[in-house]
Amino acid sequence: MRWMLLLVSLGAAWQAAAQPLGLPPVPIPEDNPQTPAKVALGERLFNDVRFSSTGTVSCANCHAAATAFTDGLPVSAGIDGLLGTRNAPTIVNAAYNATQFWDGRSPTLEDQALHPFVNPVEMAMPSHDALLEIIRGDREYTRAFRNVFGVRPAEIRIEHVTKAIAAFERTQIAGDSPFDRWYFGGEENAISDAAKRGFDVFLGDGRCVSCHTIEQDHALFTDHRFHNVGIGVNEMQDRIAELAKAFLIAKAEGIDVDVAVLSDADTSHLGRFAVTGDLSEIGAFKTPTLRNIARTAPYMHDGSLATLREVVEHYNNGGVTPADAPVNPYLSGGIRPLNLTEQQIDDLVAFMESLTSPQFEELVEPEPVAALGGRRGQQ
Amino acid sequence: MKIDRRGFLKRSGAAAAASVLPVSLVKLAFGQEQSAGQQDFTFAYISDSHIQQIRGAQFVRNWDQGLKRAVAEANLLEPAPDFVVFGGDLAQMGTKAELDHGAEFLSALRYPLHCVMGEHDYYLDLGEYWSELFGDQWYSFDHKGVHFVVLNSVLTYDEWTFERWESPERRMQEMAGLDNPNGSPFMVGERQREWLRNDLANVPRTTPIVVLSHSPLQKIYKGWNFWTEDAEEVQAILAPFEKVTVLYGHVHQIQYNQIGSIAFHSVMATAWPWPYPSTYAQSGAYVPVMTVPMNRADPFNERDATGWQFIDVHTGRAAVHYTLYDNKNRTVAYNAATGRPEDLEYQHPARRIPPQAHY
Amino acid sequence: MRRLLLAIVGAAAFTAAQADEFTEADLERWAAHFESVAQEGRRLWTSAELGTNGVACGQCHPNAANTHPETYPKFQKQLGRVAQMWEMVNWCIRNPLEGTDLDPGDPRMTALLAYMAKERRGVPIEAGKH
Repeated sequence: MRWMLLLVSLGAAWQAAAQPLGLPPVPIPEDNPQTPAKVALGERLFNDVRFSSTGTVSCANCHAAATAFTDGLPVSAGIDGLLGTRNAPTIVNAAYNATQFWDGRSPTLEDQALHPFVNPVEMAMPSHDALLEIIRGDREYTRAFRNVFGVRPAEIRIEHVTKAIAAFERTQIAGDSPFDRWYFGGEENAISDAAKRGFDVFLGDGRCVSCHTIEQDHALFTDHRFHNVGIGVNEMQDRIAELAKAFLIAKAEGIDVDVAVLSDADTSHLGRFAVTGDLSEIGAFKTPTLRNIARTAPYMHDGSLATLREVVEHYNNGGVTPADAPVNPYLSGGIRPLNLTEQQIDDLVAFMESLTSPQFEELVEPEPVAALGGRRGQQ
Repeated sequence: MKIDRRGFLKRSGAAAAASVLPVSLVKLAFGQEQSAGQQDFTFAYISDSHIQQIRGAQFVRNWDQGLKRAVAEANLLEPAPDFVVFGGDLAQMGTKAELDHGAEFLSALRYPLHCVMGEHDYYLDLGEYWSELFGDQWYSFDHKGVHFVVLNSVLTYDEWTFERWESPERRMQEMAGLDNPNGSPFMVGERQREWLRNDLANVPRTTPIVVLSHSPLQKIYKGWNFWTEDAEEVQAILAPFEKVTVLYGHVHQIQYNQIGSIAFHSVMATAWPWPYPSTYAQSGAYVPVMTVPMNRADPFNERDATGWQFIDVHTGRAAVHYTLYDNKNRTVAYNAATGRPEDLEYQHPARRIPPQAHY
Repeated sequence: MRRLLLAIVGAAAFTAAQADEFTEADLERWAAHFESVAQEGRRLWTSAELGTNGVACGQCHPNAANTHPETYPKFQKQLGRVAQMWEMVNWCIRNPLEGTDLDPGDPRMTALLAYMAKERRGVPIEAGKH
């Protein structure tokens, strides 16, 4: 009997490795198939600090594997501790996102990887060519690029770099959380009673499921859409008119949106509007996944909410913190006061804590970064 | 990644770009010559807010939010529109409290305001308080070579209005239910038609006319009062003019049509959407064939399938730009080649998307 | 014994004859029962009593249009799983109307469902259609 159990659990483990419980198959684009060599190359590029003007910053600075591919900071810091304006989203399960970045300005993982290299407050390389020079001068890299893409050193382009990085990111998926085992796996005791009650709140009075969506046999916890939930924009609602106008004029005159939104908090708070110019998207940001949310604090696009409880209270207040602050007029139609009890709020937090995948179960303190006491990025 | 001006235009698309770039871009989209004596201009249109009192100072939050948001976004239009129209049904039950609450929201608009009356504004006190706030119930004005006419097109038979109901409150309540079998069809009425004839008597046939109305000035579905009883008579008065556009509220959905020389465009509600009459299985009703329906609403998002619009007038024809929440914005504009309004994106059947058919 | 058997068979025949016979009068009466419940559904449909914020079902669903009872059960996006009509009715009562759930067996739920189905009569079943 025991050997049968062993076989079953081994089989289950293999299944988990192949397809985590609670997740659908990872979408893989036709022009960038996964291979082990490409993934390994991508991981190396991801961790390479040489691709920054000071030689100290890689993707992994802000997306550190040990801390669920985030950095634990409200907003991330790049070279010289220069602070940006946005909270580092986790790479875990980013492969399922319909767009990348808080404002969806990149349509794919491959495109997203282009930008931090050359952003002045991130890696601040003068150009992608500078990166390629480093790669071409590295024997191990040139061998790997030839092996993966069949290109000679002079033929290596930035698209090869970003494809490899994207391939690595597509392996960073995580399901099998206690919630998954309970809801999809039928394990009655996988989560606490509080978490079960919290799930009821999630589906019911909390109204969370409509944006943090789940489906019959999997849950991504995001509708991939953009919503103004009253973060950032609330504080500057009186200035929106002039700021929106000024931004659009500047944009028509040729400023780089990627640079602009990370260089100035007010511009950052414009959200999706900065990308589309659409008046109905002022202050709207992408619904992030809730998977591993207990490990990706602080929260929201500017990291302004430190704990999950604060997040729930913000929604309970109807999209304002504190409760008596004025609601901004561009608020998403899904947000309104919830009148949750303290118990319901606690339970909802317990539910969210059940979404942590086993590989992130252990709470790891983030690495201290030069960010503390760093100065804001300046153009 | 630099975004140059051409790239910005290409990326944001005609509909979004029109909110920030000069109207000349709309001209280029149609490749038309500008007629002598007419300027291009833009005006905003907000409609059907249905401010609803629950009790005391408590109003239905959802409808308040809708109007607040439309006003805030309309104030961001760049370049600024020449004026803004409110298309009717500011209040739900026509009370002073509701009209005042709604008027307060509208007062934040930074443009001159012209108002059209709706049945929810009218049937409590026959528009007495409305007129105190907003002026005449029907009137006309000229703007940059275009003659605007505002009608009270939600009148009905005298017997229903004056004799049938025991109180004004009861009368308002009976008219408030869209599908109420005790309702009565809208009309412009003989008195206003007479006024309209006189008003238009000295307007040259080549002058573009824009009619602002609450009811559709067409006969679409009587059960929901998507209907104007004397539509044919009104259309006959307008028919001699070369370029006529009718903008109407009341239906809380995207509709458009062409009858003779008259282009009809509905405007969105800020409060809540209505399904198309064809979705009522017992109605046998339809919307104008050329209308590409709006995307079916997701009831979770209170603003889905609500919206507001701005209208570009170019060579006396209208292009209606719908600002829609959580949806791609849509533009329905007069196409000179086909002689009728068309959706810039979805008109061809092959370009329709599932949310437009899943009713 | 034979008399007992005869009695039993007779009784069975007697009850069997009652079980699958109904008259025109029965049908009329039962249709009237349904009609009265559907009318109660219509009354609830246009009243503000199901919610707490003054909103009625009929404001967004005149004549119960766009409720699509013929498509249930189906995957309901707002609930994240395949669900039945009454669950969505409760969702609407809770969300746009800010009221409290009705039990599926509550006479008011029955009335609402009866009204919706009546306004949708004649439309073929298409379970699962979004």
